[in-house]
Amino acid sequence: MLLYKLPLMKNYRKRELIATCKKNGGSNLIRNINKLLRKPKQKNNDIQAEQERQDVKPVDFLSNHFDHNVEAFRMVYDRCSDVVFRPFLLFGKKRATIIYIEGITNVEGMEEFVLSPLIKETASETQPLNEFLENKLPISKVKRMHTIAECIESISSGNPILLYEGESAGFSLGLAKWEKRGIEEPIAEVGIRGPREGFNESLEVSTSQLRRIIKSPALKIQSMKIGSYTQTTVAIAYIDGLVDPTLIEEITNRLKRIEIDGILESEYIEEMIEDNPYSPFPQILSTERPDTACSSLLEGRAVILVEGTPFSLIAPISLFSLLQSHEDYYQRFMVGTLIRWLRYSFLSISLLLPSFYVAILTFHQEAIPTALLLSVSASRDAVPFPAVVEALLMEIMFEALREAGVRLPKQIGSAVSIVGALVIGQAAVQAGLVSAPMVIVVAITGISSFMIPRYIAGIAIRILRFPIMLLAGTLGLLGIMMGIISIVIHLCGLRSFGVPYLQPLAPLKGRELKDVLWRSPLWKMDTRPHLTGEFNRYRQSPDLAPSSKKGGDTQ
Amino acid sequence: MEKGKISSLQMAIMMYPGIVATAILSVPSITAKYAKTDFWLSPILASLIGYMTVYIAYKLHKLYPKQTVIQFSEQIIGRFAGKIIGFLFLVFYIQITGNMLRQYAEFVVDSFLVNTPISLIIALMALLCSFIVRGGLEALGRAAQLFFPIFTLPLLFLIILVFPDFEFKNIFPILGEGMMPPIKGAIVPGGWFTEFFLITFFLPFLTDQKKGMKYGMMTVFVVMMTLVVVNLIVLFILGLATSFKVYPLMSVGRYISLGGFFEHLESAVMAIWVVGAFIKISVFYYGIALGTAQWLNLSDYRPIVWSLGILLVIFSFWSLPSTVELHKYSVGTFPLLGLLIQMIIPLFLLGIAVMRKRKRQGSE
Repeated sequence: MLLYKLPLMKNYRKRELIATCKKNGGSNLIRNINKLLRKPKQKNNDIQAEQERQDVKPVDFLSNHFDHNVEAFRMVYDRCSDVVFRPFLLFGKKRATIIYIEGITNVEGMEEFVLSPLIKETASETQPLNEFLENKLPISKVKRMHTIAECIESISSGNPILLYEGESAGFSLGLAKWEKRGIEEPIAEVGIRGPREGFNESLEVSTSQLRRIIKSPALKIQSMKIGSYTQTTVAIAYIDGLVDPTLIEEITNRLKRIEIDGILESEYIEEMIEDNPYSPFPQILSTERPDTACSSLLEGRAVILVEGTPFSLIAPISLFSLLQSHEDYYQRFMVGTLIRWLRYSFLSISLLLPSFYVAILTFHQEAIPTALLLSVSASRDAVPFPAVVEALLMEIMFEALREAGVRLPKQIGSAVSIVGALVIGQAAVQAGLVSAPMVIVVAITGISSFMIPRYIAGIAIRILRFPIMLLAGTLGLLGIMMGIISIVIHLCGLRSFGVPYLQPLAPLKGRELKDVLWRSPLWKMDTRPHLTGEFNRYRQSPDLAPSSKKGGDTQ
Repeated sequence: MEKGKISSLQMAIMMYPGIVATAILSVPSITAKYAKTDFWLSPILASLIGYMTVYIAYKLHKLYPKQTVIQFSEQIIGRFAGKIIGFLFLVFYIQITGNMLRQYAEFVVDSFLVNTPISLIIALMALLCSFIVRGGLEALGRAAQLFFPIFTLPLLFLIILVFPDFEFKNIFPILGEGMMPPIKGAIVPGGWFTEFFLITFFLPFLTDQKKGMKYGMMTVFVVMMTLVVVNLIVLFILGLATSFKVYPLMSVGRYISLGGFFEHLESAVMAIWVVGAFIKISVFYYGIALGTAQWLNLSDYRPIVWSLGILLVIFSFWSLPSTVELHKYSVGTFPLLGLLIQMIIPLFLLGIAVMRKRKRQGSE
C-alpha cells in the first residue's frame, strides 16, 4: 500500500512522506526502493517491462506468490553482486530462498543452524511451518517481516531473509556479523592514567561500553536512522532523571530535521544541529573516550553516538568543557588545578603571543626593557620585512607544516618535520629572512596551541590568531584589545543548546566555579552544573571529606 | 522589547565601569585644581549625589516597575510633555556618549597612536559597541562580568607596583583651608555620579528586582571607594602636580617598575582601560538604543542600533571642536547639565508621580 502510493506522492514534500512512513510503522528505506523499482520503467518501455512493473508495484506487502516475492527482490537487488540468493527445498518439499549480503552475514551460522536442519528434517504435520520456524530454529532473533521495505532493511543490516512457498511473510534471521575493529586505545585523546578503551566504529560496541560503565537502567539510549542512502543509526544516550527532558526533545527535533543523503562522520550531525553555524568555536564536544562521555552523562548532558565513527558528540557544553581533560580528574586535585591554569595561560599565549610581539615591536618599543630591545633590534637588523609580515609568514609556514605532518603517512611525516624544522629554524634565520626572536615566538605559540586538550578548540584559536595579528600590526595593543573584545562579544552571545557558552564565568555561577577556575577535590564536588531547566542538584552526599578520624573502630 | 534578563549583580558590574572608566581618567586632575591636597575627599562628598540619584531612580522604578524613564515620563506628565522630556533625555545621552567616544579617542591618539586618524579610532569603538548592543542586554551583562576582573585587578596591582614611590606626606595638610575646597572639588565628580540614573534602563529587566536598590547603592559605594583610592594613589605619587597633568593615572603608570626590568607600562594600562571604556560606552549606547525605540514606539531596538552608532560618531565630532573645549565642557557644563537632567528632572517626575498617586488614593 505504501509503495503503491509513492509515485503519486512525488509532489508532496519529502518530509511529509517520511513522516507518513514512520506513522505507518514502515521504514525510511522506501526512497531507495522507490528509485530501484522505477528503474525498469525509465529504461525500457516495452510491454514486458511494463508488465513487470505493474506486477511489482503493488507488492508493498509480500504476496502469497513465492515467485513474485523472489522476483521482486531480484529486481531490487539487480546488479548487486554481493547479494546472494540461495534457493533450496524446505524439508525436501517446498521451494524456499534465503537472501543475504556477503560479508555482513554469519555464513557458517546460517549453514549450521538454518540450512542443514531445514534441508534435512522432514516436517511434522502437527504444527504449521511458520510456528516451527519461530519456535524451533536455534537462532536468538527470528522475526516475521511483512513488507518488502522491512525485508530490505533486515537484509541490509546483515540479517538474512528466508522466503518459502505458501507464506506471505519473510523471516528475518538474526545472523548479522561483520568484521569490526577491536576496542583500541583512543588515539586522539591519550593520557597517562585512566581507562585505555576508546569508542569504536560499530554503534553496538560503543553503546555497550557506556552500558558497562553506567549499569543503571536509567541510562536510556534512543536511536533513529538518518541519511536517506546510508541509513546511519544515530543514538541519543542520556540518564533519565539527570537530564532536562526538554534538552532531549530539542536534540531529537534538531536531529529529525536533518534530511541528507548520507552521514559519514559525527561532524555531519554536529554541523546540522549546532546553535550558531557561523562560529569558529565548536558548540558540541566530540570525544572518543567512554569515560568522558559517561562523566558528561552523569552531569546531565546528552551523548549522541553515530554509527561508523568512534567520535561521539556531547551537548550542551561551555567553552570550559573544551579546556578540560579527562586526566584533570584522574590526578590529585592540586596537580589538576595547576595543569588547568597552565592550560588557560598557554591558551592565551597561543592566541596572542605573536600579536603581542608585533604590537610591541611596532608601536610600543618603550615598553621593552632596554637590554632586550637592543638584542631584538640587532637580530632584526637584516630582516627586510616589517614585524607583522614576518610574523604572518612564519605562522602560516608553521600551520602548513603542522597540516602536512598530520595528513601525510607516518614515514614521510618525519621527513617533513625535519625539513620544516631546518627551513623554518636555522636556514631562514641565517638567510636573514626572519629574526631569531620571531622563530622563538612562533615555536612557543606552536607548543602552546598543543596544550589545548581538544583538537577542535585548538583550531578555533589558530584561526583567530591571524586576524588579531593583523590588528596588532595596524593598531598595536589597542588593536589586540579590539580583537579580544570582539571575540568576547561573540562568545557572550553564543549558546550551546540553550546554555550560555561562557557559563559559569559569565553569567556567573559561583557554585560551578569549582570545576572551572580550579579543580576541587572530588569529595567537594557535591553539586552538578546547572545546564537548563530542572536539574538534579546533588551528585553525592555532602560530608565525604576523608580523614583519619573518620575511620572505623578498628585500631 | 528586551527579552533578556540580567541579575542585579550584573547590573552593578555594568554600572561600575560605566562610571569609573572615564572618571579615573581626567577627573583627578580637575578635582585637584579646586581641592588641592584634599581632592581625595571630594568623591566621598560627590557620592551623596550618587546615592540620591539611585534612590530616585529606584523609587520611580517602584511606581512603574516595567517601564524606563522614556515610558513613565509620559505616564506622569502626559503624552506630549512626556515625549519632550524623553527627547531631552535621549539627546542628553547621545551627546554625552558622543563625548565619551571623543574622550576615549583623544586619550588613545594623544598618548599612543599619534599618527592614526581619530575618526578611525572612534568608528572602530562605535562598531564594537554596536555589536554588543545588538547582542542584547544579556550579552552586554556577560561581557561586563567577564571584563570586570580584567578592569579592576590591574588597579590593585598598580597599588602594589607603585607602592615604593608613595610619598605619604603629600596628604598633608588635611582640610587646611576648611571644608570649602573639597566641596568645590566634588562638583565635577558629582556630574559623574549623576550618571547612575542610567540604571533606570536596567531595573525593569532584573531577575531579582528587590535587590536592585541594594546593588545600586553598593555600586555607588564601590565607585566612591575606587575614586578615593585612585585619588590617593595619584596624590601620594604626584602630590600637588596632579592638577597639571591631563591624565594623572597614566602618569602614575610611568612609575611602574617591576624588578627594574618591566618599565613604561603605560601602553598596558591603556589596553586595560580600553576594556572599561568599551563597557561604559556600550552601557550608555544600550540605554540610548532602548530609549529611542521606546520613544518611537518601535517593537525592537536592534534595527536602529547601526544608525544610532553613526549618530554617536557624528556627535563625538560636533559637540567638541577641540580638547580644550572638552576640558571646559567637563569642568563647566557637564556637572550642571548632568545634575539637571539626571537628578532634578527625575526628582520633579518623582514628586508629581507621588502626588498623583496620593490624589488617586485619596479619591478612592
